[in-house]
Amino acid sequence: MQNLISKGKNLEEAIRIGLQLMHVSEAEVDIEIIQHETNGFIGIGKKPAIVKLTLTNHYATNSTSLNEHKLVEAYPNQTNVWEGLIEGLPESLSLREDNLLPISDEGNRNNENVIGKAWIKDNQIYVKDAPDHFSTVSIGPNIQLYKNQQLVKDKSAIISEKDSLHVKFERESISETKWNISIIENGLKAILHVEPGLQTIRNLREVEPNEHIELLVEEKQNVINTLEYQLVLKELENRRIIFNLNHTEIMKAINASTAGDFVIAEGRNAHQGEDGWLEVLVDVQPKNGLVENEDGTIDFRESKLIPTVEKGMVIAIVHPPIPGIPGVTVTNDPLPAKQTHPIKLKTGVGTELIEDKLVATESGRPFIEKRGMLIKASIIPKLLHQDNVSLSSGNIRFNGDVEITGEVEDYMTVEADGDIYVHKSASYSNLTTMKSIIVKGNVTNCSLDAGKNNMLIMELGHLIGIMHQQLEKMIILIKQLSNSAAFKTTDFSVTGLQPLIRILLEKKFQDFPNHAKKYMEVVENGQDYLEDEDWTHIAVSLRTVFLTLTNQVTTVHKLTSLAEKMEKLSTFSKLPVEPNSYITISDSVNSRLYSSGDINIIGKGCINTKVHAGGKLFVGGIVRGGEVYGRLGVSIEEAGSANGTKTVIATPHDQQIQIRKAHEGTVLKIGNARHVLKEDRDWITAKLNNEGYIIY
Amino acid sequence: MLTLSITDDKNNVKVNLNGDLDIEGTEIVNEELLPKLINFSKVNVSLKEVPFVDSTGMGLLINLVKTLQEKGIVITISDVNKDVLEIFDLLQLPEILGTDVIVS
Repeated sequence: MQNLISKGKNLEEAIRIGLQLMHVSEAEVDIEIIQHETNGFIGIGKKPAIVKLTLTNHYATNSTSLNEHKLVEAYPNQTNVWEGLIEGLPESLSLREDNLLPISDEGNRNNENVIGKAWIKDNQIYVKDAPDHFSTVSIGPNIQLYKNQQLVKDKSAIISEKDSLHVKFERESISETKWNISIIENGLKAILHVEPGLQTIRNLREVEPNEHIELLVEEKQNVINTLEYQLVLKELENRRIIFNLNHTEIMKAINASTAGDFVIAEGRNAHQGEDGWLEVLVDVQPKNGLVENEDGTIDFRESKLIPTVEKGMVIAIVHPPIPGIPGVTVTNDPLPAKQTHPIKLKTGVGTELIEDKLVATESGRPFIEKRGMLIKASIIPKLLHQDNVSLSSGNIRFNGDVEITGEVEDYMTVEADGDIYVHKSASYSNLTTMKSIIVKGNVTNCSLDAGKNNMLIMELGHLIGIMHQQLEKMIILIKQLSNSAAFKTTDFSVTGLQPLIRILLEKKFQDFPNHAKKYMEVVENGQDYLEDEDWTHIAVSLRTVFLTLTNQVTTVHKLTSLAEKMEKLSTFSKLPVEPNSYITISDSVNSRLYSSGDINIIGKGCINTKVHAGGKLFVGGIVRGGEVYGRLGVSIEEAGSANGTKTVIATPHDQQIQIRKAHEGTVLKIGNARHVLKEDRDWITAKLNNEGYIIY
Repeated sequence: MLTLSITDDKNNVKVNLNGDLDIEGTEIVNEELLPKLINFSKVNVSLKEVPFVDSTGMGLLINLVKTLQEKGIVITISDVNKDVLEIFDLLQLPEILGTDVIVS
C-alpha cells in the first residue's frame, strides 16, 4: 500500500492509526495534513483530523507484498482468544514474509478482482483493501465479530486488511438421545419412544470475494442415537414387561435416525363373549295390513293380523351365553373379558321350557316381553265378549286378552292380563291391564290403566332409588362412628343397630320413614301386578329395620345386603320394557288415562282429561282442559280453549312440546319451568334453553 | 360403670355424670336420675367425666332431655368432651335436642 488516508480525534491519533494500519514506522512515511481537528461546540461541528501518509520510496518496494493482504483467523469459542491473537499476530506476520503459511495462498489472491473486496473461506475472513474503498460486512444472528479486540455491536462494520478480525460463534452442540417406555391401552401395548441425539456442527458460510459480505452460520446435523439394546432390556425388566416382546421393533428403535414410537411389546386383547339370547321362531307382533283372499278379493274388515301358535309348537330357542376369552397385558397380567350373563326366562301360562326350547302347551297368542336380561313368555288366551259389558254380563276379569264387541256400560270394570280391545265406547268404567288398551269409541268418565305393572315398577324404582342413596349414606356414617375415638360399639351385640338407627331417623334421615311408608303402601296396593317377590321382601325388611320396634338384631351386614338388593331393583326399574304398553282411543271426556308407554288419541281429542303417558303423547285433535303429560314428548293438534278452561301440557326437562294451534292461557310445563301463553299461537315447538327457560 | 352426683340449689340442679354413658347406664339414668329431676325447673347435666358413649347411651340422653322438656323443665348439657362432641355432631344431636341445650 503506497499511501493511506487516516482519521483521528487529533493529529497524533490520526497518524498513529495510519501507521498502525500500514504497519510501518513514522520514519518510513511522508505525512501530509489534510484537515486539522475541530472540537466544535458540545459536539456540533466537530471534525476529525485527517492525514495522508505516503510511503517513502525506499520502503515502498519492500513492503508491498507484506501489506497486500490482511489475514484474520476466526477463534471460535476460545476463552483466551485475545492472548492467542496478540501472541500469534507478529508470528504470522513474520511467516507471511516468507510466504510459507498455506493460508497465505488464499490471502495472496493476487487477482485484480479481489481488490476492495472481502471473502470468507475456511471460517476465516479475508480482506483486500482498495485505496478508494473499504469492504463492509453484515453480521448474522448468533455471531459475534470482534474488530481490533472490540465487539462490534452494530449489525454491520467496515473492515480493512489492517484490522484484526475475530469471529465468535458456537462451533458444535450436542443433544442427548432421549427415550422412554410407556404402557398404553390398559396394558395392551408397550411403546418405546426415541428421540435420537443430534450433533450440530456450525461453520461460517463461505462467501466469494465481494465488496459487501455477510457473516452467516451454516449448520450441519449428525444423528447420534446412543440407545442400546441392553438398556432397553433392562428397563423392560424393571417395568416387568415380558409378554410378547418384539425384538425387531427394539432394533428399529435403536437404529432410528428420527424421533418415533415403536411398539415393542403387545398384549392380547380379551375376546368379548356374548350374553345369552332368545331366538324367537314365531311371529309375535300383531300386524296391520290388508290381505288378499284365495279368490283374489280383499276383506277390508280383516285389517289386523293377530299371530297365533298351536299346542306343542316350539316358540323360541334359548341360547346360552358364550363366555369371553381373557387377554394378557404386556406385563403378563390377565385382562378379564366382560362377564356374560344368561337370559332369565320366566315361563308364564301356556309355555314350558324343554331343554333349550320354549314350547307352547296351549294354543293362542304368543307373548314375549323383554326387560334387560329378564324375558317373560306366555301364551295369552283370548276372551271374546260379543255383547256389552253390563250388569247382566258382570265385570270381566280375565287372565289374557279381552275383546269386547259392544260397549262397556256405566260402573263396570274390565281387568285383564293381556290387551283390552273395546269396539264401541266406554263410560263411567274402569279398564285396567298389564298390557295395552284400545277403545274405538268415546271414553267418558272412565279410568284407563295400561301397563299397570310397569307403572308400579317405575314408581317403586323411584322410591327405592332415593332410599338406596340414603341407606348407603347411613352405612358410611355408621362405619365412621364406629371408628370415632369416644364411641363404644359394645351395645351393638346386645341391641344391634336399632338404638343408633332410631337416632339417625330422628333428624339426619328424617325423610326416610316417609319414603319407606309410601313404598310399603304402593307394594301392598299393587301386589297382584308385581311378579318379582324382591319388591315385597324389601317392603318387609324396611318395616322390621326402620319402622317397628322389633327385637331382631340388625347388623351392618344386614343393612349392606338390603342396600345391594335395593340397588339391583333400582337398576332393574330403569331398564326399558319391550314391547311397552300403550293406550289408543278415539276421544275422551272427563277421564283419566294412564299408560306406561305411548298414548294416542286419534279422534276429536280429549276434554277435561288427565293423561299420563310413560312414552310419547300424541293427540290428533284438541286438548281442552285437564292436564296432559308425555314423558318422551308431547305432540298436539290444538290446545287450550277460547273460554279459558285451564289446560296444562307437561313434559320432562329434556323433551319438547309441539302444538299446531295453541289458545291463549294454555299452560306449558317443561321440567320445573312453567309458561302461560299470552296469546293464540300457531306451530309451537317449546323446549328449555340452557338457562332453564321455556323457548318456542 | 356410670355414677352420678347431684348438687341442688332450690330450683336449680346440677348433675355430674361420671363414667361411660352406655347401655349399662340405662337403669341409672331412667330409674335413678330422671325421677329426681322432675321437681326442678332448671337442670344442668355435666358430661365432663364422660369419656365414652354408645348409641344406647345417646338414646338415654335424648330421652332424658325430651322427657324434661315436655314437663317444661329447662335442661342444658355442658362440658362435653371433644371426642364425644364430635359424635354428637355426626348424629346431629344438637338439632335433635335443640341448639340451645348443649352449652360449652
